[in-house]
Amino acid sequence: MTDTVSPIQQMLAGTRMILPLTLAVIPWGILVGAYGVESGLSALHTQLLSLSVFAGASQLVAIGMLESGAGMASILLTTLLITSRHFLYGLAMRQDVQCLPVRWRAALGFLLTDELFVIRHAQSQHFCRWFLIGAGFSFYAGWNLATLAGILAGQHLPDLSTLGLDFAVVAIFIALLVPVLSNRPAWVCVFASAFTAVLTHLILLPGGLLVSMLAGMGCGYLCSRYRGEKST
Amino acid sequence: MMELLILGMTLIVFLSRYLFLEPLLPIRPGPRLLHFLSFSIPAVLAAVIAPMIFVQNQTLQLEPMNPYLLGAVIAAVCMKLTGKTLLTVTLSLVVFMLSRFLHSSG
Repeated sequence: MTDTVSPIQQMLAGTRMILPLTLAVIPWGILVGAYGVESGLSALHTQLLSLSVFAGASQLVAIGMLESGAGMASILLTTLLITSRHFLYGLAMRQDVQCLPVRWRAALGFLLTDELFVIRHAQSQHFCRWFLIGAGFSFYAGWNLATLAGILAGQHLPDLSTLGLDFAVVAIFIALLVPVLSNRPAWVCVFASAFTAVLTHLILLPGGLLVSMLAGMGCGYLCSRYRGEKST
Repeated sequence: MMELLILGMTLIVFLSRYLFLEPLLPIRPGPRLLHFLSFSIPAVLAAVIAPMIFVQNQTLQLEPMNPYLLGAVIAAVCMKLTGKTLLTVTLSLVVFMLSRFLHSSG
């Protein structure tokens, strides 16, 4: 970590870096808020989901399951399936945070979304906790403000998916993906992951994202080993 | 009841994120595991966007003029050629909106 830059500046740098993703997630946050109150949850419970669970896919699925009358056990099990990809992020970031005090680890753990994980790796410089906390917290604030906006707008909202703002996520993720595709194993990984993701999506498999990631990572790894690259 | 569910979900999600950040957990990722994990970024990016591009209303959408596919191709080409994130996102979003408009009216 370079000490010439103050923590505040690092936090602002993190906030700036994740800003496109924060903006892209706003429609989803609004959707979670509006969908929550529309399906009969109280405004407080809907906001509480964003404040304490802080996991878009799990929140949306849980609201949908509640609406269809699913029981607590099946909702919790589905949450575990959807969220289990985070185990991989923790594992990948394990070495970075080992020496940090527990409150830092807990805070970064709480804020460790798909987006934060992606940003941590898009960041070219050395691991910096202030940078990540700034990025993670600004993203958290954005998600919760968007949820609040959705709750307030409620049923008056036009159907967000018809506006096509969901494409913003696709565009940003492609911009992040292109620089990573520098060799064949990375391509193999992307194809395998994408193919499995489409397949699991079509058959409505709850833990599809994790299955797809594992398929992609496995194929990428095997391809890389096959080409004789050693694990260093 | 609802509070209990939210608490349960909070614990599950937090634990999944925190578990491997805990140093007391007696596991040291070896070089092979780290090599495997180095593919997690392309894997997650592809796994999130592929269904958004190719699946609409629970059906497979392989038409080349599918606005999502068209926008995605434009984004990939623009990023490869210019390396500029903001330009890539803006340009592909415009192409996407236009093609969607033409798609729905045509």
